[in-house]
Order: sequence, then structure tokens, then C-alpha cells
Amino acid sequence: MKKSLFLSFGTAISMTILLSACAGDQGGGDASGSNDDTNNSGGNAEASEDQTQISFIHWRGEDTEVFDEIIEEFESENPDIAVEMNVYPSEQYQSNAQQMLRDGSVGDVFTSFPGSQFEVIRDAGFFADLTDEEFVSNFNAEAIEIGQADGQQLAVPYQLVFNMPVYNVDMFEELGIEPPQSWDEFIEMGATLQENDIQPIAFPGGDIGPNQFMNSMMMNNAPDEDIFAKLESGEESLTNDWWVSTLEDFQTLLDEGMISEDSLGIQQDSAIASVAQEEAAMLATGSYHMASLKEQNSELNLDFLPPITVSEDEAQYEGIHTATFMLAVNENSEKQEEAKQFIEYLSQPEVASKYANETGQHLTIEDVEYTSEELQDTAYWLTDKETRFQPRFFITNSSVENAVLSSIEQVLGGDSPQDAAEQAQQVVEENIE
Amino acid sequence: MRASKNIYLFLVPGFILYSIFFLYPTVSAFFYSFTDWDGISSEFDFVGVDNYIRAATNDSIFAQAVGNNLSFMLFVVIFQTIFSLIFAIILIKNTKFNIFLRALFFFPTILSSVSVAFIWSFIYDPSMGLLNTFLGISGLEALQQNWLGNQNIAIYSLAFTQVWFHTGQMLIIFVAGLHAIPNDLYEVAKIEGASKWQTFKKITWPLLAPSATIVVAYTTIQSFKAFDLIFATTRGGPNHSTEIIATYIYEVAFRSYNFGYASSISVIFMVIIAIITYLQFKVLRSDKVSY
Repeated sequence: MKKSLFLSFGTAISMTILLSACAGDQGGGDASGSNDDTNNSGGNAEASEDQTQISFIHWRGEDTEVFDEIIEEFESENPDIAVEMNVYPSEQYQSNAQQMLRDGSVGDVFTSFPGSQFEVIRDAGFFADLTDEEFVSNFNAEAIEIGQADGQQLAVPYQLVFNMPVYNVDMFEELGIEPPQSWDEFIEMGATLQENDIQPIAFPGGDIGPNQFMNSMMMNNAPDEDIFAKLESGEESLTNDWWVSTLEDFQTLLDEGMISEDSLGIQQDSAIASVAQEEAAMLATGSYHMASLKEQNSELNLDFLPPITVSEDEAQYEGIHTATFMLAVNENSEKQEEAKQFIEYLSQPEVASKYANETGQHLTIEDVEYTSEELQDTAYWLTDKETRFQPRFFITNSSVENAVLSSIEQVLGGDSPQDAAEQAQQVVEENIE
Repeated sequence: MRASKNIYLFLVPGFILYSIFFLYPTVSAFFYSFTDWDGISSEFDFVGVDNYIRAATNDSIFAQAVGNNLSFMLFVVIFQTIFSLIFAIILIKNTKFNIFLRALFFFPTILSSVSVAFIWSFIYDPSMGLLNTFLGISGLEALQQNWLGNQNIAIYSLAFTQVWFHTGQMLIIFVAGLHAIPNDLYEVAKIEGASKWQTFKKITWPLLAPSATIVVAYTTIQSFKAFDLIFATTRGGPNHSTEIIATYIYEVAFRSYNFGYASSISVIFMVIIAIITYLQFKVLRSDKVSY
């Protein structure tokens, strides 16, 4: 009896250990990105004994193919290094990257968004200092300033994104509409488009619309680049003119029918489809959707058309840019040298050119050769236009960011700009020190 | 006597698993709820009950999330219970057709929440969605809505999706409960000349009470934990109109990096669920069936 009892108990313990081991594997899977939501690849995911394997984590699933090719080329040039790439959905990446970087086993090379994620990772001390690395000089000095803090280069942004509306150039030409230079002209443009049964702006208010369009809507209403820093320190308020007038401009777009009444229920795929099918003239997102638009309608001729919300002579900025996909080396990594070698490789103009043209992205690397048509057509925004860095990324507290975005949704939902601003300010005050 | 002592050893594996996966995280959440831990740093300070005071007095979004959650829960509990009970009564007989229909109703339950969110985002799309298109074709344009974009109805649109998602699951529980009711009682009722309503009121419903208790309690807990469906559909928007406690905890913990405060909300969340479930058991409890 006693013997069989212990035998049963031993079996139970063994089963427990076995189950725990299975659970352990699953947990490890999460960390290494082998779960269903992540994409795990690389030129040579299994490193041989004489190779050092580094982990590269990011959120750009659409770039996996080109990164696979680049990694393969990197590995053939550097046979002693293997790169394992894990790609996470951007939302998951934004919330979980910090946890993954903690012990240094994942993310020897990692990417960061500017703004609140950069601040959190910096506070946690996960950025290795890249200041003295030679490859830093391959990047445009002005574009990588956003990756600096406390006199150190902590990360180097790779992509240069234009977060401002994209428009159908041929449609405007056919209707004889000149790109508006002032708010009055912008409203007039909307009326002309509507007279021709065209929705002026496809606005995906159900997902990224507010956080993208707010940038160009406020760029000239609040030209002070420190405005959100002042908001977070209590010096500024959302009930002041710069934000209330921005909300009033949103209300005008809604009242004038330039943004659809249903916009808060529209997702980005739907908005992209309506511009691709030429039912709408402008897509209120950014350059990163140009490739999708061209994919759905190769006849489209596209450019940017950010709204100038003031008179022509008052306008200081013509558009919005963001240096993002910030490459960095994990301070907790034991393979920092190999990780830096990989970033050095990515920063070579010929490698960067391949990445840029195959993904349809402008980059922060000097001497990149843009061969794709849409990149060439819009390259003049890099040199000839006065653009400012995306203001939203200067909000370092995500609760404050949510309050700002919610006030836009509130106005688009029918509330008055003043009420929306007051409620948002209340949330801001609840969340700042 | 020694054998009876050894028998407690069988509890150890279960207790270890319970401790690792439930007890430890619960105690940790309670511990961190008194700190300002950001979830990443190794250092944190104790802040006493400040987090709880903040949740109770100085967080309008949390108050909104609690209100939204209660609306969501009420809608789901009422309609999911009613629909699943009606379908169970209709499909009680074990004919091939009824078994097929039960499986069909159960089908959404086996889908992942993200798939359900994707399907219903398409159905609710205001411009090209299935629902508004159907209403338009049917001449019911007046009923067309911005289902997920209208702050006043978005939470109910999601609650309806939740009802669709889990009604089949509750139907199975009710069918099992109905099958457990002795047929003799219905025969007696028939002989006595009881109407269908009287039969339901005097026999079916009282004897279904244990199943109803399970359905209501489970639905309530499910409603509070509908994180994945809401997160994948609206992410709590627009303007926090679909924010529920679970999505807000995620927001505070993983976007604002305030694990201490998120832990305190989690503890409050746990207490709310416990109170509501306890009250439901008190009101509906009938674990002994009396004839």
C-alpha cells in the first residue's frame, strides 16, 4: 500500500515537472518570439559553434523579406556572426520590448520608437552609448538628434517618415485644384472635391487617424516645439488657444463634410481602399501607406498635402517628418561588438538603398540612392520643404498623449472643442506630477 | 494512519502549480499596489495607499472604465442568458438537426478573440460593412449607425459581439441542465393541464436554477475579462467610450509603465468581481434541487 502510494506520488511529481517543462518552453517561446504573433527568421537562425548569434528585434513585419536578404548578405560577409530576427506586431512591441531587453538575452540589436518608449528605455538604462561609433557619421546628423540624450547618441533612427496626408495628384489636376497654401484655400479645395462627389479626406478615426493627422493640423497652430514639454510640466494647458483652435479646425473639417461623419468607425484599410478606388482624394496618414496605395492602384500619382491651418503668411511649417525605427544596442547584451557590426552594415549606403527601395521608405542614411518612383517623386520634401518633427512624439507621458488624442475623437464625435479641451486638460492634470 | 498523512502529498503538485500561477502573482500584485514600481527598474518606493486614493478620487478614466464595464456586463449577462436559454429550450430534443444547430451555435466559441474582432470590425464598418449594407438593402437606412465610432453605442455594439461569441457555450450548459430535469414532472404537468408558460415557470426555471447560476456567474466574469475582444476591435476608443477595466489596466501597466498603479486597479478589479459574483450566488443560489 505504502509502496504504491509513493509510486503514484512519484509519478504525479514527474508529470508536474514534465508539464512545468512544457510551460517553460512556451514561456521561452514568447521571449524569443516564436509564438503565433511573432515572426522569427534570419539568414541563419541556428548558429554553429564557431558563430556568435545575435538577436535583432523590431516591429516592421512588412520588411521581413528584405531584412532576410540583408541578413543573409551580412552573414556571408561576417561568417562568425549569425543574426536571429524576431518581428513583433508594433503594439505588442511597444508594450513588451522593455521587458524583453531586461536580461540581455534578447534584442542585442533592437529598435525603439521615439517619444515615450525611448524615454522609458533610456530611464531603464538599456541603451548602450553609440556616440563614438564610426557608423554614426553615415547618418544625417540632424535626423538622428532625436536619438540623443544627455550628450550621448543612444539610438540611430533609420527611417524618415512623413506623417502627413497623401493626395491624388492627377485628380487635383483634372479638377483644376491647386494645392492649398492657407486654411481658406484648404476649405475651398474641400468644397470643390465634394461638388465632384469626391470625399476630400479619408480619415481612419477608428485607429491611427487622430495620432497621425493631429501633427499637421497643429504644426502651425503651435509652432513652439516645446509645447508638449510645457504641457507636461504644467506651464501650458490644452484649454489654451493653440489646442482649442486645433480642435476647432477639426470641427470645421467635420462640419464642412471634408471628414466623414462616420470617420471614428473607419479603420486604415478601409480608408486606404477609398483613396485607392479614387472615392476619396486624400489619405490622412502618411508616407508609409504610399506603397499600399500604389499596390492597390498602380495608376495613382501621389504626393503630400498637409493642411495649412493658418493664413499663407503665418505658416511656418509646410509638413511633418519623423525619424523613427531607431536602431540601438542593448546595454545588457554580452555581444555588443557584434551588434554594432550589424548596425554598421545596415548603415552602409548600398545596403540602406536596397532597404529603402524595397520597402518604399526614405532613410536617414546619407548618400542613399532612391530608385523607386514614389520615393524619387517625394524626395524634394527632404531638401526643399520646411518640415518639423512629429509633435506627438514630444509627449513623453502616454496618459497625456491619450488625453490629447481623445479630445480629437470627442470633437469628431460631436462635442464642442472647448468641452473636449477642458476634459482632456483634466486628465492631463491627473497624470502629471 | 501514516497512509492518511501521506495522502496529503498528492496535494503538493497541485498546490505548487496553484502557488506559481495564481497565488504568487496575486500576492505580488497586492504587494506592488503599494509601490510606484514602473515595471522595469529594479528600484521602487512604497507609496502607501496613494494608488488606491488616486483610483478612487483622481482618475476620471478609471471611473469611466468601471461604468463602461458595468454597462457591458449588464447587457451581456441579460441577453446572453436569455438567448442561450431560449435556444436551449428550442433545441432540447436530441434530433440530428438540433445537434447540428447546437454545434453551429457553439462554433463562435472556438474562434480566437482576434478573429472575432476582425470579423465584427468588418461587419460594423460604417461605409462598407455588412450590417449597414444589409440595412440599406432592406430599406432600413434610418437604422444605419456608426456602430463602433459612435461614443454612445460603441460599448453595446461590442457587448452584442460578446453575446454572439459566447451564447453557444452557455446554450450547452442550459441544455445539460434541461436534460437533468426528470421527464415525469412534465408528464404530470401535462396531465394536470398546465400551460406551456406555467410549466416553464413552475418546473423548468426553478429546476434550471443551478445551471442559471453557473451561466450568470461565468458570463459576469467573462464580461469583466473581455480584454482581447475590445482591445483588438477598438482599443478602448473612441474617447475611452469602450474602455473597460481590463483594457485600462493594460494601458496603465504597459503604455504608461506604471505597474504600481496598475496593480492597485487590478486589486480593485478583483474585489469588484468577487462582490458581484457573491451577490449573484446569494440571489440565484439553488444548489439543491427540490421537487
